[in-house]
Amino acid sequence: MEELIISTENFKKIVQELLGKEFRVIGIPEGENKYQEITDGSKLSLHPEAAPTSSSFKEYFFPKSEPIFFYKQNHSSVDLFDPIEDKKGIVVIGAKPCDASALPIISKVFNWDYKDDLFNKRYDSSLIIGMSCNYKDDYCFCVSTHGSPENTKGSDVFLTSLENNYFSAAAITPKGESFINDYVKYFEMDEKKHKVIERKEEIPEHFNYEKVKTWLDNNFENKFWDTAGEMCLGCAQCAFVCPTCHCFDIVDEQCSSCEGRRAKNWDACQFSLFTKHASGHNPRDNQEKRYRQRISHKFKYYNDKFGEILCTGCGRCARGCPVSLDILQVVEDINALAEKS
Amino acid sequence: MNELKQTCKDVLTEKKARLIIGYSEDKNKRVKPFIARTPEDAEKFVFNHHAVNNLAVYISRFKNNFEGKIGIVVKGCDLKAVTALIQESQVKRDDLYIIGVNCSGVVREIDKEFSKDNSQIKCKYCQTKTPAYFDAIAEESKEFELTVDDQQELMTKIEKMSAEEKLDFWNEQFEKCIKCYACRQVCPMCYCEQCIAEKSEPQWIDSSATARGSFAWNTIRAFHMAGRCIGCHECERACPMDIPLTLLTRKMGMVASSEFGYRHGMSIDEPTLIGSYSTSDKEDFIK
Repeated sequence: MEELIISTENFKKIVQELLGKEFRVIGIPEGENKYQEITDGSKLSLHPEAAPTSSSFKEYFFPKSEPIFFYKQNHSSVDLFDPIEDKKGIVVIGAKPCDASALPIISKVFNWDYKDDLFNKRYDSSLIIGMSCNYKDDYCFCVSTHGSPENTKGSDVFLTSLENNYFSAAAITPKGESFINDYVKYFEMDEKKHKVIERKEEIPEHFNYEKVKTWLDNNFENKFWDTAGEMCLGCAQCAFVCPTCHCFDIVDEQCSSCEGRRAKNWDACQFSLFTKHASGHNPRDNQEKRYRQRISHKFKYYNDKFGEILCTGCGRCARGCPVSLDILQVVEDINALAEKS
Repeated sequence: MNELKQTCKDVLTEKKARLIIGYSEDKNKRVKPFIARTPEDAEKFVFNHHAVNNLAVYISRFKNNFEGKIGIVVKGCDLKAVTALIQESQVKRDDLYIIGVNCSGVVREIDKEFSKDNSQIKCKYCQTKTPAYFDAIAEESKEFELTVDDQQELMTKIEKMSAEEKLDFWNEQFEKCIKCYACRQVCPMCYCEQCIAEKSEPQWIDSSATARGSFAWNTIRAFHMAGRCIGCHECERACPMDIPLTLLTRKMGMVASSEFGYRHGMSIDEPTLIGSYSTSDKEDFIK
């Protein structure tokens, strides 16, 4: 397909059409710093230079709490009911590469032995329109986790910002190609040869992932872990704003005396209850061990099992951490230890 | 600054404390909690407008871990949490070495400079720039001017709402909650070994972050803070969903003060409001 371009204004028109076709459109409205459901196409903003939102958009695929089924007790029997399915397809518009690339990563764990229908139904019927990123701060490190501000992983269509509020649009997947074909009237040929808006500053490679991985392979027991996470207070801000953290808990909740629901809720490895057994024994009985788990899961275990780094380098966990515990600095410290050893 | 470093070095050299919980700066100039165990570590201590954390939260974490005193760097506001922990028998005064710092206000947005617009809400009504007591004191006290206490204005506005409007306001706020429990984890007064949110027999609070589960969690936490919140505003600062939690805790503190003449964390010898009974206590809320 030839390179097509589209103006921000025309993109808003596409959003309006999508809304008419009963899609759920997720984007960042003008003046906001949060992914949310767009209900008016004209409010959509596409700003590659904007800072990452404080939360990722994973909640639209993996909600903070969702019913698996409902139950109703009827004397001696129990009736089960499926939750009402939301049949609307999800279209995410203007996803940063550090957000879009998280979906194929977590899809692997949701399709490992058990196929998670709740996640798959949403993901399979979704369309992700990624957008190149022109932002950088001290927390960004996508390049170090095999990503980049132009990484198209996870996107079906990828936009690159051009001058004069234009974007070049590349179809990355067949799904993306048919999307562009469906709305081709809003796209145009780049006859004026608009220039790409260049990044002001490159994102450096802060650490060598392979070295970090090798160090983690050999240092489960290391005094580094005694202090790396000692200031961590054990909340789940980091896990819940993270685009790749995917742990969940399953609970039964009673709504009335004979009705209730089984729910799938976000959970986090920094909680002290996370690994606590019914016996009272807790294999990760202090925050230092729990922090080692967080780093190891992201940079070692997930790669061992699924061949992916469980981190896209978005930096959200550090931007929001109440005690400014910075994952990048921790991994940089590991990198320094790896270079020494 | 050198004064703080020197004081802390001396404390560790003379073994007046086993460790000191203070603030250090990382290479990006972000100020964060830090523990010094040796006089050399104490070189890393800093104190400035970015030292927002209330370090008293770490007392409960470290208190049973070792012999010897815990050294702690505290601002005037944070000292109220230390005092409250002593009042609530969570730590003994003698087990602490308190290094007070005169504070000239701390920032709200950590990546921006301190200014009259960029300050924590608590700084706008601060009456304790100098800690009320200490074992050592560092830093100079500087006067500073801040914008108006706009939280007070919002509180007045909410007070004028009808019960239904108040419920709508809080439902909207609590629906944002993701149950990350950052509010609880940063709170020095949330030291329960088992939080009510984690009790499952019976399950008092739905663990789901649904409208019902989040409303229950946030209101119960607020109730547990009645007359106990010392007003460090850490819960609100830590909340990733920007829920204005201190509207509730501050309001309850004001009620404790106006109805019972009590402010928590002001004197280590004073019985707590919740833990004491006086025949002159008002009973006009029982109708």
